[in-house]
Amino acid sequence: MPVYVDVDRCIGCRSCEVACHRVHGGIGHIHVHFVGDFASVPIFCHHCEEASCTIACFSGALYKDGERTAFDVKKCTGCGLCSLACPYGVVWTDKIAHKCDLCEGRAEPACVATCPANALTTDYELASRRERARAARAAAKGGRR
Amino acid sequence: MIKVDDSLCIGCKSCSNVCPSQNIVRTETEKMRSIHWKRCKEECDLCVEFCPARALTLVPFDETVQEPDLSFDLVACKICGSRYASEPMLRRIEAALAADSERDSEGLEWIRVCPTCRRSREAEMASRETVLERCRRGQ
Repeated sequence: MPVYVDVDRCIGCRSCEVACHRVHGGIGHIHVHFVGDFASVPIFCHHCEEASCTIACFSGALYKDGERTAFDVKKCTGCGLCSLACPYGVVWTDKIAHKCDLCEGRAEPACVATCPANALTTDYELASRRERARAARAAAKGGRR
Repeated sequence: MIKVDDSLCIGCKSCSNVCPSQNIVRTETEKMRSIHWKRCKEECDLCVEFCPARALTLVPFDETVQEPDLSFDLVACKICGSRYASEPMLRRIEAALAADSERDSEGLEWIRVCPTCRRSREAEMASRETVLERCRRGQ
């Protein structure tokens, strides 16, 4: 997943949703979900290594391009198979399919650049460092992760 | 004119989306999706080319033949009950992903859950540890 989420940091402001809407002509591909009163989680495309959406797509509109699960709008017929094949529910179809494209052509995805809480990152090292630090803190407190 | 093999059609939105002359009409209600293929004289074969199930063929125009019409009951989501897909579409995805399903303990059960509930479930999974930790701290 080329954009990593740190759920601990997310403050549920939904800035990422706004940023995504703005750069994709009013159609957003990231949704902030609230889990009771306890947590908020931005949900978006994982860019799965073996992506079910690309397996389901019969026209070749969805395909793997390196780490990215890319989308060729010219080949899409809007059949709806990809939306049903995504285990995370993050491919939508109306007349055509739409999903996260990692803001192709921009230096950094708009959601990552916008997040005021630094909950989103494209840096795998940073994400895994945070994860290890959290595990160490939990271990120091004697709790099990 | 379009001929439809109703044993092959999966009830997707492809042909009705690609038809440039609105000769394929899709009607959606809460519980059902219906597709109606009008008698057409066009020589275009976009619908045939873009049918994922290869259910369509072009045949010579014939006024006596009835216009094909198919209806699909939409399947209800296992969690929220909202109707979200045609049965043949879900079966097709199950078949396409079957080879990979062994890796996952839950198998392909998620296909019977609507995309909205899949997102909520994913949010709950991703935040499980955070929620537990915050509950502990709050006590």
